[in-house]
Amino acid sequence: MAAWFELLEHTSDVGILARGANREEALIAASHALASILVDPAAFRPVEERYFRAPGSDEAAQIVNWLNEILFFFDTEGIVFVEFAIDSWTSHEITGRAKGERFDAERHELRTGVKAATYHQFESHAIPGGWELRIFVDV
Amino acid sequence: MHLEKIDDYRWLIPKSYKAGMRTDAMIYANERLLEAIRQDQSLEQAANVAMLPGIVGRALAMPDIHQGYGFPIGGVAAVDEHDGVVSPGGVGFDINCGVRLLSSTLTLKEVRPKLRELVHQLFRDIPSGTGQSSRVTLSDADLNRVLETGPRWAIEHGMGSEADLDHTEERGCIPGADPYAVSERAKQRGRAQLGTLGSGNHFLEVQYVEEIFDQKTAAQHNLDKDRIVVLIHTGSRGLGHQVCTDYVSQLDQAMRKYDLHVPDRQLACAPIHSPEGQRYLQAMAAAANFAWTNRQCIADAARGAFQRIFGEGVNLPAIYDVAHNIAKREVHMVDGKQKRVVVHRKGATRAFPNQAVFIPGSMGTASYFLTGQEGAMRETFGSACHGAGRVMSRSAAKKGVTAKEIQKELESRGIIVESLTREGLTEEKPEAYKDIESVVDVVHNAGLAARVARLRPIGVIKG
Repeated sequence: MAAWFELLEHTSDVGILARGANREEALIAASHALASILVDPAAFRPVEERYFRAPGSDEAAQIVNWLNEILFFFDTEGIVFVEFAIDSWTSHEITGRAKGERFDAERHELRTGVKAATYHQFESHAIPGGWELRIFVDV
Repeated sequence: MHLEKIDDYRWLIPKSYKAGMRTDAMIYANERLLEAIRQDQSLEQAANVAMLPGIVGRALAMPDIHQGYGFPIGGVAAVDEHDGVVSPGGVGFDINCGVRLLSSTLTLKEVRPKLRELVHQLFRDIPSGTGQSSRVTLSDADLNRVLETGPRWAIEHGMGSEADLDHTEERGCIPGADPYAVSERAKQRGRAQLGTLGSGNHFLEVQYVEEIFDQKTAAQHNLDKDRIVVLIHTGSRGLGHQVCTDYVSQLDQAMRKYDLHVPDRQLACAPIHSPEGQRYLQAMAAAANFAWTNRQCIADAARGAFQRIFGEGVNLPAIYDVAHNIAKREVHMVDGKQKRVVVHRKGATRAFPNQAVFIPGSMGTASYFLTGQEGAMRETFGSACHGAGRVMSRSAAKKGVTAKEIQKELESRGIIVESLTREGLTEEKPEAYKDIESVVDVVHNAGLAARVARLRPIGVIKG
């Protein structure tokens, strides 16, 4: 299954529905979805790398924390990531890397600020041929 | 869901509606608003709030209620301070999102000819959203002092006066705020954001007094018809978002320890007197103080922008600054007895008798200045609504309209808008919100807050 995402309707906020051949690919698709809410990712290049560490007592907490890493680096360094790699996913944490570029108002287009990924209506499950994730973010 | 109609403005979800509800939920709405409210999950969320351990009185929903996470936006819940729980989800990610209203020494006639210049100056002087750095730089010690003392820090640094504190809820400082309860990550997210508006529904508007309903109260604030006012709507930025994120995660863990169960994980909570609950309240207070300082810095920048355009003699005194995402320790009458409670207001404004309450509209629509009424003390733990309330999803709002078209349409109505992003205009177009007149009608007629003045926007800056 090719990785894929779509943004879902919600009265006040935005949902992400992401699919991939496995759980890792689905999370990477969700990561691209989150970047596409923040900015138009087309003009960003993978020139800077950051390490992600997303601990959590269960899968939902780990996925929420992974997506919150994207928001943390965006708020603190203005980096938008366009490439993601998951190195390991244990029962305690997800570790990985992301590559992107700092926002430059001359070349890039901002879209919507995101406050956080949430547990609201969170879903993570196998589907025929792959994996599906649903996460709502607060904007 | 079947609602019991109490009168034209009150609808009850009885606690028999579903297992686990500890009390009834009361919805303040008219029939028309209720129709819109039924379109999403917000009534179900109001019923979920009624399940919070230690809830006293009823779970409450204001007429601008819409679906949030765990708590509905527009929700109020008071819990017993001794055996209740505190829930970061009952405050929201944007801790102390709120509204500050400034009066001015200018009239509509004086501002109109230089409006475009003024809006541009405001847009230049007040960073709106991500990607623009704050004009305020903070050392570690400065940031800790902001978190501990609120806008007093800004005033000590020449951004405002003591009079601003007199016109701010809690004088801008919730006691007990502990900067060390705020994580380094939260501080990193907030450090460069003091004095910035943020995106989404946050804005600064130049407005004029279109109509006065309560002459006496308006006169107390030197408000007359056509008086120019400035309304600032923003919160605690990334710092507050991270505090909420951190503590939802910590309290989610703590729930197992205290054997607590809630119907939605985003309602994660801990006993108020537990170490985890106390720590959250200390961090939340610090984030709230940061938000009041944020609005103080923005007010100072707005005063500077007005003076650059209209001269040094122009003054913009504060009318009031009030939070609408917060948990507060308060004393209320419950079943005829005084009780110490923690009131969660998520998208709800404190509305104590005679206290100013501001209900921001959305770009093209009016905002309202109300005052809290005794009815709010009797029924809603001193709370009223906080806005119009969204009725349309962001993607639906964007369909079939461009930012340029919205800007042009608003301009044809005499409203100049500058926005950092196209989404700031399309997602926040006036039609995406409920009719503010109906929302205000309900709180006025239900006796929660009374109309003082209607304010009409002429200039808007947004992220």
